[in-house]
Amino acid sequence: MNHRRDFLKMAAAAGLARFGAMNALAQASDYKALVCIFMFGGNDGNNLIVPQTQSEFNAYKAARGSLALPDGNAKLLPVTAAASGTPFALTDGLAKIHPFWAQNKLAVVANVGMLVQPTSRAQYQASAVPLPTNLFSHSDQTVQMQAGIPSSSASTGWAGRVADAVSPMNAGKSFPPSVSLSGPALFSKGNIVQAASLIPGFDMQLYGFNLWPASAAAARQAALQQILTFNSGLTMIQAADKVRQDAQNLSAMLKSLGAAPPLASVFPGTSIGKQLLQVAQILQLRPQIGLNRQIFFCSVGGFDTHSGQSWQQWDLLKQISDGMLSFYNATAELGIADKVTMFTESEFGRTLQPSGTGSDHGWGSHHIVMGGAVKGGDVYGKFPAMALGGPDDSASRGAWIPSTSTDQFGATLAKWFGVDANGLATVFPNLGQFGAPDLGFMG
Amino acid sequence: MRAAWGLAPILLCQFVFADDVIAIYPSPASVAKGTTQQFSSYVAVSPNTIVWSVNGVVGGNSMSGTITPAGLYAAPSVIPMPNVVSVRATSTVKPAVFGESLVTISQPTPWVWSASPNTFTIGSARKIGLNGSAFIPESVVLVNGMPWMTTYVNATTMYAVGDLPAAGTFPVTVAQPNPGGVVSQPVNITVTAAPPAPVSVSVNPPSANSALSAATQFTATVTGTANLAVTWKASAGAISPAGLFTAPAAMPASQVVSIAATSVADATKSGQASVLLQTVATPPGNNGGDLTAGRFLEQAAFGPTPQEIANVQTKGISLWLDDQFAMPETVIAIPAQSGSVQSLTLNRLTMAPDQLRQKMAWALGQIIVISMNKNIYPNEYVPYQQILSKNAFGNYRTLLSDIAMSPQMGKYLDLANSNKPGLTGGANENFARELMQLFTIGLNKLNLDGSNQLIGLLPIPTYTQADIRQHALALTGWTYPTAAGAAPKSNNWENFSAPVMETRSANHDMSAKALINGCNLPAGQTVQQDLDGVLDCVFKHPNTPPFIATRLIRSLVTSNPSAAFITRIATVFIDNGSGVRGDLKAVLRAILTDVDARQDVAPPDSGRLKDPVYFIVSFVRMMNGTIVPATIIPYNFVAMGEPVSNPPSVFSYFSPMYRLPFNPALFGPEFQIFTPTESVVEANMLYQIVHQPNSDPAIDLSPFVAVAGNTSQLLDTVDRKFFYGRMPAQIRTAMATAIDASYDNNQRVETAVYLAALAGQYQVQY
Repeated sequence: MNHRRDFLKMAAAAGLARFGAMNALAQASDYKALVCIFMFGGNDGNNLIVPQTQSEFNAYKAARGSLALPDGNAKLLPVTAAASGTPFALTDGLAKIHPFWAQNKLAVVANVGMLVQPTSRAQYQASAVPLPTNLFSHSDQTVQMQAGIPSSSASTGWAGRVADAVSPMNAGKSFPPSVSLSGPALFSKGNIVQAASLIPGFDMQLYGFNLWPASAAAARQAALQQILTFNSGLTMIQAADKVRQDAQNLSAMLKSLGAAPPLASVFPGTSIGKQLLQVAQILQLRPQIGLNRQIFFCSVGGFDTHSGQSWQQWDLLKQISDGMLSFYNATAELGIADKVTMFTESEFGRTLQPSGTGSDHGWGSHHIVMGGAVKGGDVYGKFPAMALGGPDDSASRGAWIPSTSTDQFGATLAKWFGVDANGLATVFPNLGQFGAPDLGFMG
Repeated sequence: MRAAWGLAPILLCQFVFADDVIAIYPSPASVAKGTTQQFSSYVAVSPNTIVWSVNGVVGGNSMSGTITPAGLYAAPSVIPMPNVVSVRATSTVKPAVFGESLVTISQPTPWVWSASPNTFTIGSARKIGLNGSAFIPESVVLVNGMPWMTTYVNATTMYAVGDLPAAGTFPVTVAQPNPGGVVSQPVNITVTAAPPAPVSVSVNPPSANSALSAATQFTATVTGTANLAVTWKASAGAISPAGLFTAPAAMPASQVVSIAATSVADATKSGQASVLLQTVATPPGNNGGDLTAGRFLEQAAFGPTPQEIANVQTKGISLWLDDQFAMPETVIAIPAQSGSVQSLTLNRLTMAPDQLRQKMAWALGQIIVISMNKNIYPNEYVPYQQILSKNAFGNYRTLLSDIAMSPQMGKYLDLANSNKPGLTGGANENFARELMQLFTIGLNKLNLDGSNQLIGLLPIPTYTQADIRQHALALTGWTYPTAAGAAPKSNNWENFSAPVMETRSANHDMSAKALINGCNLPAGQTVQQDLDGVLDCVFKHPNTPPFIATRLIRSLVTSNPSAAFITRIATVFIDNGSGVRGDLKAVLRAILTDVDARQDVAPPDSGRLKDPVYFIVSFVRMMNGTIVPATIIPYNFVAMGEPVSNPPSVFSYFSPMYRLPFNPALFGPEFQIFTPTESVVEANMLYQIVHQPNSDPAIDLSPFVAVAGNTSQLLDTVDRKFFYGRMPAQIRTAMATAIDASYDNNQRVETAVYLAALAGQYQVQY
């Protein structure tokens, strides 16, 4: 089978033409993608999923006061945790994805957050164990949650390091494997893999190359090609020219979207809708792109609900779930619904106890995972007891000490993605501190 | 009947919930940037008081637009990305009840009232004038959907040039660019078959330079007749029947020779060209005449201006440095608005005469970092810029001290209100950690040449977590300044009214501390004594000289300095020659006059990728341009990964340890934020500057315009300004072809300048 190697060599020499030529090979290979939806500001997980056993629901209502669901805005949609049979309810901000629970494609991971090592209330209060630096600080916890390292001294993100670990599976491809649709993101940066950001709807067209007369435009384009491919013998210049060449290739790929049949799935016109639409369109180009593993970063802001939380959080979650439904439908349309997994992150959760019409910065929070490969219909991890000053509370207001670390959450996704045990230890250097490196929510 | 039944449930629903409804109009809406839209609300909630918000923010903000309590929405002046915002009226008594309108922020919708002329004959280079409204400099005229070369005159007048290859009726529209792009309604023009064309003659090249006795080939193009023959005539020298011109051997009375080609078919029609005679042929470029000064100013300033090049060439590097060291410091004012900080910073980097100080302050600001993403108000941030500026030519130990005690750093890295262990938790370790990791010694023990000390193959850590705790204890007891008129508290609220934080002995850990590198602090020292002890310890650590030397060289000169270069600079950091450690003026002079920095013939791995801010600012300076104090361009740098004064973390915009993509043996820090998307965003920003040279930023293209018609001279000017005479012949040839394919002189200049700026040879400082 010398065929494949020759084919690759030839394709590599052919520049842009290779993307078309690689179709058949890419389609035959395995493929997986992860899509992170980061909720900036600190999502209040307490109103994402609500316990429904009578005693815990009563405790929840007593502690939450005016923020307790259901309220004038959000109703509750019942679900049952499969393994334990325990009843819970999702906010109906998630109405569009609620049906996936029954289809076992949607799961909740309870009380996830940054930890250095497993930490009890007594240990936390006595400062008996090392803790993540600057808990409850937006800027620090945003860095840490994206870095997967419990200190703000991080220069790479865990998705970037996951992409590093699987880079052999993506060998020889020029499209960036770790892409942010939400501006340059630490999450996406690796040690090997360069972070890349794409702007939804922006096809990376260079200005100044669509001009009259057409002959002048063609000459300008031809000259740029010659300038960028001229070998100056200087490493830095070659590297800079390579980035601009990659940009031209990427732009050509993005523009070819226009020629692809439009996706039948309709996306909402929200910011997250546009980001997820752009991801879906990149997934549609998967055969031309040729990557076997891709990670995407999307985000929604506005979760710092110190006041006016009720309608604001309900609406933001609705935007997310509407987008997730459209995106799932798009992956089904592309035949890769069981190869693409969506999950949420946020810098921290919020206090169970309200302050006014909102809540304050917390720590651990609940997150959702969705896709055809998810072992859904269940709540993973340990759900906190709804007691202010109780065993899961770091102090007295219901800022939960995480019972599951971000490392475990990320490692479960990364393992499914194809990162081996050695790789996991590199991606999540603190993983060894925690008992179960695989939470079991991925098939 | 079925249709009517189908509607019934909808009506029923509305009836049932009628008392819980807020509707707002218009919904959805499209609002042009910088314009207003009045929203009205129908509120079926009692009492019917509402509050208006944009994207969840009551009253909105400058990014997504503002809205008054009366519902008057003012769209932002810059189109946000994404360009859809949510405007809501929310009940104040029932916050769950609201009406929403999704508002698309668009470019102003252009209208075309008339096209003149509106009838044409088939042909190329047809020119059309348009009258209308809401034209903007970025507007493009589309004829039958094809873009024409568009010239913006004012908001109501544009003209465009393009081809009309076929007869028929065609729509003419005006399009505004994305994001928020909109297209006008069309007006139609009529194209008829062409009458027999008159005979015309053109000569190529239209102008040329020639040495005496040298030969130049001209060609004539005849249209409108089958007889393509011409007769040639030259006002001096000789020209053959085939158009080969030979210059005279001696300079004639006029240095300019006229060439004419007259049609044989119609002797009333001729084409002209001119030859400029020169006694010595123009050398390509200027043989590197600006290379030494240009390279130096790329390192010592935010790039050269024409005046500064002349200045360096007149004075020499050493005197130029003396001048800069003695120059008064440009005042850094604290503006009222946070958004002004970025604008003023870009203005200062571009326009300030004390360029060396600006450059050094910027470089130091990449080592010691504060970001407005946490310190959001001007008085929480700008004093930090003042400290960097003030100490740029001072001593590194003083800089550390000023920074450590500033309430600005106190907030950013949490030294303010870091108390001894007790009820409020442990001592905050944030500043202690970054002081070591980023501001002074780094993670691993270094040799004087910047390389890691090794045990076997492994680097040796400079500190442990236990060391950090000791340092953090030593740094306890600082709090914010006491606000005027307030009573001092144990832990003051955030306050930035004084340059130095206050000490609180009661919050200070009084135990003895064992610091790194054998430093020890005895028990019972004051807050100030312990801070001084910590700073002395890291300042005197053997890592600090090579660590800071490497960082500064990477910012100013090259991403991959030689071990000898680092050693030489670290040695000056240790001792400026008068026994003083940490003398930044001596370090800066040593870097900029080092034999490696002054090596004008580039070694293969030399150079530094220009970061986006430097790339744009230095381009404007090269073009003798301006960035005004109220510039609106800072927004552009967000999508390039370098939001001015808003680095994402204490690691700044990019890591100094970032490796060159696909060549991990080399460092390429700036490449961390030079991915394909950012490279295009940056290029497009530069194109807009070139395309609208009288906008903000403003640039002066006149040196290029003056020689626009002469390809060789235009390329010489490009070579001198962009490449200091180093333009490779292959690039010169490629650019010449593109320039000669251009339609007119404006397009020739744009082609030359834009292509040169996109070349790796300009993207990299080498």
